[in-house]
Amino acid sequence: MTTDHIIGEEKSLKEIIKDIDIVPLFQDAVSAGVSGVILKDSSGEVLFQHGNSPEGTDHSADIPVKFEGEVAGNLVITGDRSSKYLVDSIGTIIHDALKLILKSRFKSLLASDTHETVIQQSYDELLETNNKLKLSEMKYRDLAGSLEKKVQERTDELKKAHAKLLQQEKIASVGQLAAGVAHEINNPLGFIASNINSLKQYVSKIKDMLLFYRSAFEEQGLTAGDRELSQEKWKKNNLDFILSDVDELVRESLTGADRVRKIVSDLKGFSHIDDVAGADIHVNDEIDRTLNILTHETPEDAEIIKEYNELPVIEGNAAQICQVFFNIILNAFQAKQLNLKLRIRTRHSGDHIRIDFSDNGPGIPDNITNRIFEPFFTTKEVGEGTGMGLNVAYDTVVSYGGTIDVYSVQGNGTTFSLVLPVKAGMNS
Amino acid sequence: MVEYDELENRMILKLVYYGPAMSGKTTNLLQLHDILDQDNRGELTVLDTKNDRTLFFDLLPFFLIAPSGLKIKLKVFTVPGQVQHDATRKAVLQRADGVAFIADSQLTEETNNFESFKNLEQNLDFVGLDIEKIPLVVQFNKRDLQNIIPETDVTDAWEPTGIPVFMSSALLGKGVLDTFRRLLELTYEHVDRRYMLWDKHGLDKSKFVHQLTMRSDNEPLHEGI
Repeated sequence: MTTDHIIGEEKSLKEIIKDIDIVPLFQDAVSAGVSGVILKDSSGEVLFQHGNSPEGTDHSADIPVKFEGEVAGNLVITGDRSSKYLVDSIGTIIHDALKLILKSRFKSLLASDTHETVIQQSYDELLETNNKLKLSEMKYRDLAGSLEKKVQERTDELKKAHAKLLQQEKIASVGQLAAGVAHEINNPLGFIASNINSLKQYVSKIKDMLLFYRSAFEEQGLTAGDRELSQEKWKKNNLDFILSDVDELVRESLTGADRVRKIVSDLKGFSHIDDVAGADIHVNDEIDRTLNILTHETPEDAEIIKEYNELPVIEGNAAQICQVFFNIILNAFQAKQLNLKLRIRTRHSGDHIRIDFSDNGPGIPDNITNRIFEPFFTTKEVGEGTGMGLNVAYDTVVSYGGTIDVYSVQGNGTTFSLVLPVKAGMNS
Repeated sequence: MVEYDELENRMILKLVYYGPAMSGKTTNLLQLHDILDQDNRGELTVLDTKNDRTLFFDLLPFFLIAPSGLKIKLKVFTVPGQVQHDATRKAVLQRADGVAFIADSQLTEETNNFESFKNLEQNLDFVGLDIEKIPLVVQFNKRDLQNIIPETDVTDAWEPTGIPVFMSSALLGKGVLDTFRRLLELTYEHVDRRYMLWDKHGLDKSKFVHQLTMRSDNEPLHEGI
């Protein structure tokens, strides 16, 4: 509302004087003997006229009409030459009357204008106050509404942060447990391996001795009954097979023990329980280590194609990096149980390294591509997945100043691309 | 805020006599009306419909034509002083080109003067005028009465502000013209800066002031106190 409240605006004669004021006056003047009366405004426009027009008349009186000190119009009275005195007198009378009319009309006009202006102004002020109140009410409503939303947002953030902490703690405690178990296994494994080695030597000696006895026994004078009995017992005990198998048996046991030792060592390495933060990380080695840990999760016919290139070491916490690889590779293994092909490619380029994990799995549906890094987002059955795996991977990579991208074509595999800066300033 | 119509070659200036109730604003205008030559002014319109107090306001118009032909109408208003007529005061103060603040010299009126001046500041701000820039004079009226604030106190209080202060007795016609004249001078300077009254219209300050303050020969001069 932009009403201007101006008092005392300019008024013209036309606006101030009404017919009812002036017409009777002019009529009376003509009755009294003048031939015509005219009121013009300052531009010469005729406002009121009664009687004859001044043309062709003998005498006329032209009286300027002043309003607010300014000549606002003219009063013209006409008559014949003989009535000059009458014309002038009536002119004076009408002029005086006109001044009074102007004064009283203007006063009442000013009063009513003022009244209207003041009322309008007060009304406008009220309206404005009302609008301001409405606005502020709206603002507070908005504030109240958004406050609830903000509280909800903060609560969600806190929940997520809390869950993440729990998850990280879980990962850490699993690592610690694994490291502890590994350490405990190492001791008995040590003497098992050592004993089997001794056993291998013992068996070879026993075998040697046994074969010596047999040949001596059978060639030198034994009774036919003895010989028969001996052969029968040899056969019954299946010693031919045993002697040929015992080596294989011991060798397999040793291989087994060695594999256990390796698993334990990888487990310890993977958990990096002994590492200090900020150590050098050999990415290719860590990928291998992670694959070893995941042996039991690897589908039997899976084909893992490693295309490693020489990489510079990066600085950081190897356990965290392994966790990232673990989560991505495990997803690939779980995505396709038959005929899985997983291609792992590492490259060094400029100031960063790039690691691509490409599988030939079913791919990620378009509608969830942008949600897979969200915490608690999972497509797995309740209880099977936490929905934290890729979120942890994402946060870890970001904390190294790197990026993680996913390219997926539905039905045609998924590629996770990790880019890590070589001089990563690890921030945790 | 001068109303200037270039096409019509017309300018309307508005001066406002502001102040507390009963300080003598209307008396100032009545005196001007009596003192000044009627050729240059119109009639005084007094909207005093209740108890001889100004319910709405008074209006005394002046008119002059500059050498260039520019018609200048000067409208001098009073505002109602009573506290409850604030809406009318705001309306009258709209687009004012100059303000004379008429204070009541009586010691009992100090608070009212103060409140009214504060109200003037607020209302000028309300109608978008800057009290630091608008031509402003102050008149301490009723110097003819007893128990009035000493002139030295007034001077001490107002001198630092740079606002011209006049002592008057409007009832006796004393100081009224001085106040008006100074306000006209300040208003001229203010308007001239923007509308070049001298450069474009050949109207200088002394002529402007002189023409609007010409005494009527027919009226007896009021000599006061």
